[in-house]
Parts: sequence; structure tokens; C-alpha cells
Amino acid sequence: MKIRKTSLLFFLGPALFVVALFYIIPLFLSVYISFTPMVDWNVNRYLTQFIGLQNYERLFHIVMYDPDMRAVVITTVVFVLVTLVINVFGGLLLALATYFMDEKMSAAYQGLWLLPRMTPIAVYSLLWYYFFHSSGIGILNSILLKLHLIDHPIALGLDPKYLPWGAWFIIIFVNGLVGVSYGMIIFYSAFKSIPKELIIAARVDGASTTRIIRHILLPLTKWHFTFVMVWQMFSLLMTYAQTFLLVEWRVVDSTWGQTWALYVFRTAFTTTKDQGLAAAASTFLSIIGIVLGIIALKALGYEKMILEPKGDI
Amino acid sequence: MVSIRLDKVTKRFGKVVAVNNVSLEIEDGKLYVLLGPSGGGKTTTLYLIAGIYKPTSGRIYFNEKDVTDLTPAERNVGLVFQNYALYPHMKVYDNIAFPLRLRKEPKSKIDSKVHEVAKFLRIENLLDRYPHQLSGGQQQRVALARALVKEPSVLLLDEPLSNLDALLRVYIRAELKRMQQDLGITSVYVTHDQSEALAIADKIVVINKGIIQQEGTPEQIYENPRNVFVATFIGNPPMNIVKGTVLEDGTIETTGSRLTPPPAVLEKIKRLKLKNILMAFRPENAVVSEHPMEGRFSPMGDLFEVEPLGRDAVVTVTVGEFVIKVVMPTREAMQLRIGSKVHVNIDPSTIKYFDPNTELNLEYIEA
Amino acid sequence: MMPETTDVETINRRRMNLALGIVVLIASIPILVTYFILMASSFANQMITGSMVGQLTFTLKNWILFFEGKLTVASAAVYSTWDILRYIFNTFIVAFGVMLVTTALATMAGYACSRMKFKGRKFLIQLLILLHAFPGVSLIIAVYALYIFSKGPIPSQWWTLYAFIYVIVARAALEIPMDIWIMKGFFDKVPWEVEWSALIDGASRIKVWKDIILPLVKPGIAAVAIFSFIAGWGALIYVLVFLPPTEKTLATYIAGLLAGGSLEVVHLPVVAAAGTLYLLPTLIFFSFVRRYMLQTSLSGIKG
Ligand SMILES: Nc1ncnc2c1ncn2[C@@H]1O[C@H](COP(=O)(O)OP(=O)(O)OP(=O)(O)O)[C@@H](O)[C@H]1O
Ligand SMILES: [Mg+2]
Repeated sequence: MKIRKTSLLFFLGPALFVVALFYIIPLFLSVYISFTPMVDWNVNRYLTQFIGLQNYERLFHIVMYDPDMRAVVITTVVFVLVTLVINVFGGLLLALATYFMDEKMSAAYQGLWLLPRMTPIAVYSLLWYYFFHSSGIGILNSILLKLHLIDHPIALGLDPKYLPWGAWFIIIFVNGLVGVSYGMIIFYSAFKSIPKELIIAARVDGASTTRIIRHILLPLTKWHFTFVMVWQMFSLLMTYAQTFLLVEWRVVDSTWGQTWALYVFRTAFTTTKDQGLAAAASTFLSIIGIVLGIIALKALGYEKMILEPKGDI
Repeated sequence: MVSIRLDKVTKRFGKVVAVNNVSLEIEDGKLYVLLGPSGGGKTTTLYLIAGIYKPTSGRIYFNEKDVTDLTPAERNVGLVFQNYALYPHMKVYDNIAFPLRLRKEPKSKIDSKVHEVAKFLRIENLLDRYPHQLSGGQQQRVALARALVKEPSVLLLDEPLSNLDALLRVYIRAELKRMQQDLGITSVYVTHDQSEALAIADKIVVINKGIIQQEGTPEQIYENPRNVFVATFIGNPPMNIVKGTVLEDGTIETTGSRLTPPPAVLEKIKRLKLKNILMAFRPENAVVSEHPMEGRFSPMGDLFEVEPLGRDAVVTVTVGEFVIKVVMPTREAMQLRIGSKVHVNIDPSTIKYFDPNTELNLEYIEA
Repeated sequence: MMPETTDVETINRRRMNLALGIVVLIASIPILVTYFILMASSFANQMITGSMVGQLTFTLKNWILFFEGKLTVASAAVYSTWDILRYIFNTFIVAFGVMLVTTALATMAGYACSRMKFKGRKFLIQLLILLHAFPGVSLIIAVYALYIFSKGPIPSQWWTLYAFIYVIVARAALEIPMDIWIMKGFFDKVPWEVEWSALIDGASRIKVWKDIILPLVKPGIAAVAIFSFIAGWGALIYVLVFLPPTEKTLATYIAGLLAGGSLEVVHLPVVAAAGTLYLLPTLIFFSFVRRYMLQTSLSGIKG
């Protein structure tokens, strides 16, 4: 029995330590910071001052009365919903297309679409920096100019003429192109795990490709659909790295291109360095994260899927 | 209704030739069984008929109409897979109704047809269940119902009983046979179980290495195998082979025992100028004893093993390079001593003769 | 045996393939174009777009300028060649560090989650899924506060080293929950009989793990290692937050070049050269693990 304890500690200890240090403690610490007036990382001075709900009151006030903060809220809602739809259905379409393709072609396309996910964020943002650049060298501008759709370069993400739609378009487009690959691989591997006999049997019964999709592939992958939906919603609420550089590099407007998560990060680290306020804003994300996460775990029936290790003696 | 013809059909998968230049005619309304060892090309042949695979070369005809390029749906075949391939997310009713819905038949008609076929296969009480709530035998019937409900011109079955236990297998195969006869539907049935084949087939097609070894009624296949492969594949245990030397006077000799073959055989031996010959006989047509018996062909060998199986025993004797299994009464078999020299006394009238070069039965060689 | 391509062969697949191929190709245009422009511009005298085709010439100048630490042809070097090499080295250090920490911890914990009975196992496994989805942004404030705390007692000449260690472990922590899941999936597939026979022979659990089980999950380890390397290699936010401004990686170097969106101070093809160089290892490593992607994603979500 003693031996078991030590070996369990050996295997699990280090990971638990890291999880505790970088998830559990910060979670509580972060909530605590939201009750302090911390600014400019002056830990020594502010961390012991407890100011109750003041940061939350401030946050509430800004949300109510500051038009820029309103923009953040609206942008977050629009961004999450639209990108979610694009990611889930785009991923589904890609998965279907690659499922019905030649193996080789499908592998090539999947590699291509996974590329944005693997690319370093700085490089990925750089691609779109070039693409949406507000001068004539921007790829989009040069295409539009050559097609004579515009007569001088436009700043889609910045020019008030196009706001908020221009900025939204850019952040949705850029994040969507990364996001679809998630649905693609999950759906694709779900389709692949359906016995081929079922597809063939349906063909023998006279089913067309669309019928096979509607009556076999989609009904059998409902679980995966929910899974992708939930997980994409999470990651869209929480994601900020891609958009961070686009804002820093002045590709998109810092107001209409900023989601709640990015607002938290920028408030804490780059703009006002108001960590108390940022922590209060981040608490909302944590609550959403925990609540949605638990609902998802229950809805997806994870607990039942975790089998006992039968052979452990 | 429909007869099927395969004309020089070949199917390759890369380097593997799964079906090799097969020509076969399947008569209307008959039940044909494709029988052969694993990897022989049975499933491939079946899928070629179904239209799942496209032949690398050769044509396939239904009623003399070329269907080679038609899809399975256009061929109107019913197919039962080895693992049944029931749609797991649909209830039994919807599984059976699926092919009809695809044809956009009216609801009332679908309903009556589903009930009709369900009644026929006695699964009416299961219509409300999901496939995973059914036993193997019930799933098999649902798969059959789904194949039959669209009134296919051809019914194709790929080892449909292999997932069932032995008792159920015997029971259902009888049912299948009765049903096939009632409906008079042209059927192709794949199995590697020869007793199943012998029990239900109108005609058996033995396939090995992608080549048809023999085609014929169960009796023909059993009584008169066309070549050594079929002889040693059919029967339980299958036929035994011994080799003999043809002497000047036309008699055949093995380990000192002599045999005069029937005149027809003798003549073919002479014409083919055979020096050696292979002889096959069924295990039940010989008796093993210490001394050679009168009127029998009695090669000598070493007694290797006696396996008593109740009333009868399987006696294994090695004669030169050949292993021979004889079925004889246990009581007699137990008298024999393992390792001693024994004689295998074969009834000469039951012996089949094969050309050792082509391994063909001499009876099938044109005179 | 079923056909390779899932579908029946008598259906005309050529047409379907062609149609799907073209549709997906059109959808892929943005990806193809942007990556192409990046890489091609790094070898051109100016950005490929926005110029007359005739004026475009092939040149290695951008790469030379990049390694010389210059940002435009005219200006003096802003960085030394030594700086640039150090940034590349730093990027490698972070990537390797994240890879080592992640792979080691995920391989150990994945084994425990797959094969050991202990109290709270189900809870832990579900917690890992939750953590994987947990908002990193709501943690980073506190993680940074902890960093400031913890570096206090450390002599200041060690701060840089400490920053590297901290960024590596903190960044690895983001990967670990998911990678434990992935490794668990691989361990789940190893038959128990293998483990039992070694245990019966008297080996300790750790020895069995090391000598018997690990060799059987090599593909999983390789996949996790490469995925975490790619993650560490691309890390931006954590590097930006924790490393001192003098210790850049390629990510923060590029991020800094374009900050504020200024066009004047930097010749864009030079940035393209930096970006292409930065992209290269990812492309190479990714080409190795692409085929694992499906496997790991599935073992990640299913039991
Ligand atoms: N899709 C395929 N790709 C490559 N080779 C195949 C394919 N299908 C069958 N083969 C090969 O073709 C040969 C015949 O296979 P087939 O499935 O027809 O055999 P079978 O007689 O049905 O065997 P079994 O009794 O084991 O089902 C085998 O050697 C097999 O390996
Ligand atoms: Mg088969």
C-alpha cells in the first residue's frame, strides 16, 4: 500500500503541483486582486489594501456609461456568436468535403487548414497585417484597387466610415480561419469512425450523397456537434492573442476590435495597468468559464465516459 | 426474374488479384453459394455483383443487360453484410423503411410493406427497438428485412450467419432456405462454412485465390471434386490423397499394394502417359487394420494418432509424405497400436484419380 | 474488407473529387495567398503586392538585413547580429523548455490517469477538461503577481534566468491538461496483460512504466512533444509579459517591429524574412505530426 502511494505521487505529483500553482492558486488570487486597488503591479503597496466591491462598481459604471466599454461588450457578443457559427459550420463543411474526397487530397487540404492553428501567433498576425494593411501594399487593398472597386486604399479596420463592421469583419475573419480547423478535425475523425459498411449499406439502399450526410453522418455525430459548439464558444470567449497584435499594430480599431478578454489583458498589462479593475473583469470570465464548463461536462456525459482502470490490482 | 452473368471479371487491389478472370452464370431464382477459404475472393465477388466494387476488367450482366457501370441502387440488389450494418441511430422500423423512403414511396405503402416483411420474418414485435437492443439473430433478421423490403432482383448475403451461435445458425439457415424458395429470388450467399453451403445451396461455387475451382450442385461437389483443392477442402475431414506409381501393366502401386483402376481411368492414364497418379478417397471409405484386407487397396503406413469421437474415431496414418485420416468404429480403432505399421484398406470403387501435374480429376479431362 | 475510399466504386468519384477539390481550393485562397505573399516577399525587393510586376526583383537582401539587425536599407543597425542570434536562441530555449516540461509531466500524469485507481480520479480527469478550456486571461494577472512575489527573494542577477524558467513552466502549464488527456488516450490502448506480466515478474510500477509501457506509447510521446514544441515556439503573450524587454524571442521581436502600425521605420520585406524564418520550424515539425492530429484529437475527447 505504501509503495502504491509513492508511485502515485511520482506520476501525479509534478502535474498536480503545476496545476495548483498555475491554475488553482491564481484563480483565487485573481479574485482576491479584484478586491484590491492594485495598479502598476505595485504588489507591495496595494495587495494588502482591501477595498471591497469598488472595482466591480467601477466596472459596472464603465459598462453602463462609457461608450468604449459598451463597444467592448457588443463586440464580444457579435464576435463570439458570428465566429461560433462560422467555426462550427465551416468546420462541418470542411470535414464533409474532405471526407468525401480522395485520401491524398483530403490530407493535403487538412494540413493546409491546420496550418494557421500551428503558426506562431506573431507570424499569423503578420500575415493579416499584410493582408489588411491600410496602404496600397495591403493585399486586400491591392486586389480591390486592381478590380477598381475602390480608387484609393482603405483602412477597413480603422476608418470610422467602416466601423464597427470593418473591425468586426477582420477579427472574425482572422479568428474564424484558425477556428474552423478545430471543427474540421473533430467532425472528420467522427465521420471516419462510423463503420464504412453503414455508408455502403445506404448506397445499396439507394441513398444519394446528401441523403447519406443527412441520415447517417450527421445524426451519428450529434455528440461531436455539441462538443465542438461548446468548446468553440469557450475558446472564442477567452481568446485574445490573435486580436492582441492586430490592435497593437493598428490593423483594427482598439475599441471595436477589442473583446472582453482582450480588454482584461490590455487593462492589466498595456493601457491603464489597472490590475484591480482587470481582475474584476476577469472574474466574470472565470465564472462564465466554470459554469459553462460544468454544464458542458454534464451535458456531454463525460463522467460516464471515464472508465475505471480495470486492470489496476 | 433475374439471372446474373459474370464475363471474365478481374478485380485487382494494387498488386493483389482478388478475383481472377472469373466467368460465372447464376440462374434465375436459384441460391448460389460462394464457398472458399479466407481471402479467397468471395466477398470481392459479391461486392462486384452488388456494384460496390467496379471490376478492373470484364463485364457483369443482369438478364443480359450490362450493369457493370451501374451503382448498387440502380442494380436493385439487397445486401446483407456480415456485421449487418444496421443504422444504429434508427429504430428497427426506420431501418427497414429507409430504402423505401429513399424511393419516395407513399407513407401508407411504406408502412404496409414494412409490416408485411416484418411479419414474414417474425420481427413485428421488434419494430420499436434500436439495433443495440437486439440479439444477434434478431439483428440478422432485421438486416434481411431491410434487404428484402425493396423487393430486390437479387439478394446478396455475406456470411450472414457467422456471428451467430452454432444452434441458431442451423435453425436460421433452414429458415433462409425456405424463404428464398418461397420468394424465388435469385440469391448469392457467401460462406466459408462448407456444411452451411452443402445444406442450403442449389449450386456451390468453390473459389480459391480468386479463381473458380468448381461449380456444381452440392452432390457433384461432394461426390466428384474437380481438382485436388476441392477434394481436400470439402468434407469433414476432407478427402485423403495418396500417391501411386503407374506400372507397365497399368496397375497402380503404393508401398507394395496394388490396384487395377477401372478401364476408363486406365485409358486416360495411358493417353496422358502418366508415370504417377494421385488417388483421393473419403475418410469413411477406408478401414485401418494390422493386415491388408481382401479386395481392398491397402497402402501401408505408420499409425500416428487415434482420436475417439464417440461411436466413431478419427485414425491418422502417415503414408510417405501424405497424412491420411480415416473414420472408423472406435471399438476397432482402439485395437491398433500407435506407432505400429498399419494398412489403410480403401474401397477401390470409391477412389478418384487425379493427374499430378494439373491436379485435375481425370473424369473431368475430356476423353 | 471495404474499399479504401468509403464509397462504392461504381459512383463516379472523379467528378465529386474534382468538384470538392475546386470548392475547397477556392475557400483556401486566403490561406494560400497570405502565406505565399509572406514567404515570397522575403525574397523580393519590395512587398509583392502593391507593386508593378515589372519592378519586382529577386533578392536575398532582406535576409541579410534581418541578420545584420537593420530594419531598412538606409538606416544603421538597430540590433546587432548577435542580438538577432540570441533572439532565435531564446525562442528555441522557450520552445524546448515547454516541450520538456509538458512532455514529461503529461506522460507521467497521463499514465496515472489511465491506469491507476485513486480517490478523486474521475474528478481530476474532469477537472483537466475544465482547465483546458479555462480562460487563460483570467489567470495571467494572478500568475504575474505570483511572479513578482516569488522573484523578490531572488538576487537580481538571477532574475533573467528565473524569468526564463517561469515563462517556460507557466506556458507549459497551459498545455499540460490537454496533453495529459492525449497521453491518457495512448496509455488506454496498451493491453493490461503487458503490464501484469511485468508486475508479476516483480518489477515496480515505475520500472514497468519506464521499460515496458513507455516504448509502446512512443508515437504519443512524439506527438505531444512536437505539439508542445510548436506551442512553445509560437508563444507570444507569456514571453511578452514575463521576459525582460532585452530578452526577446522572434515573437516579441516581430511584435515590436510593427508596434503602433508605423510604416516608415521598417522595410516590410525584412519583417517578412523574420516571419518566414520564424515560420519554418513550425512547418517542418508540423509536417511530421499532421497524421497524429486526428488520432490525438479523438483520444483527447473520447474515454
Ligand atoms: N479493399 C481491399 N484492398 C486491398 N486488398 C483487398 C481489399 N479487399 C480484399 N482484398 C484482398 O483480396 C483478397 C480477397 O479478399 P476477399 O475479402 O474477397 O476474401 P474472402 O474470400 O471474402 O475472405 P474471408 O472469408 O476472409 O472474408 C484478399 O487477399 C484480400 O486481402
Ligand atoms: Mg469475406
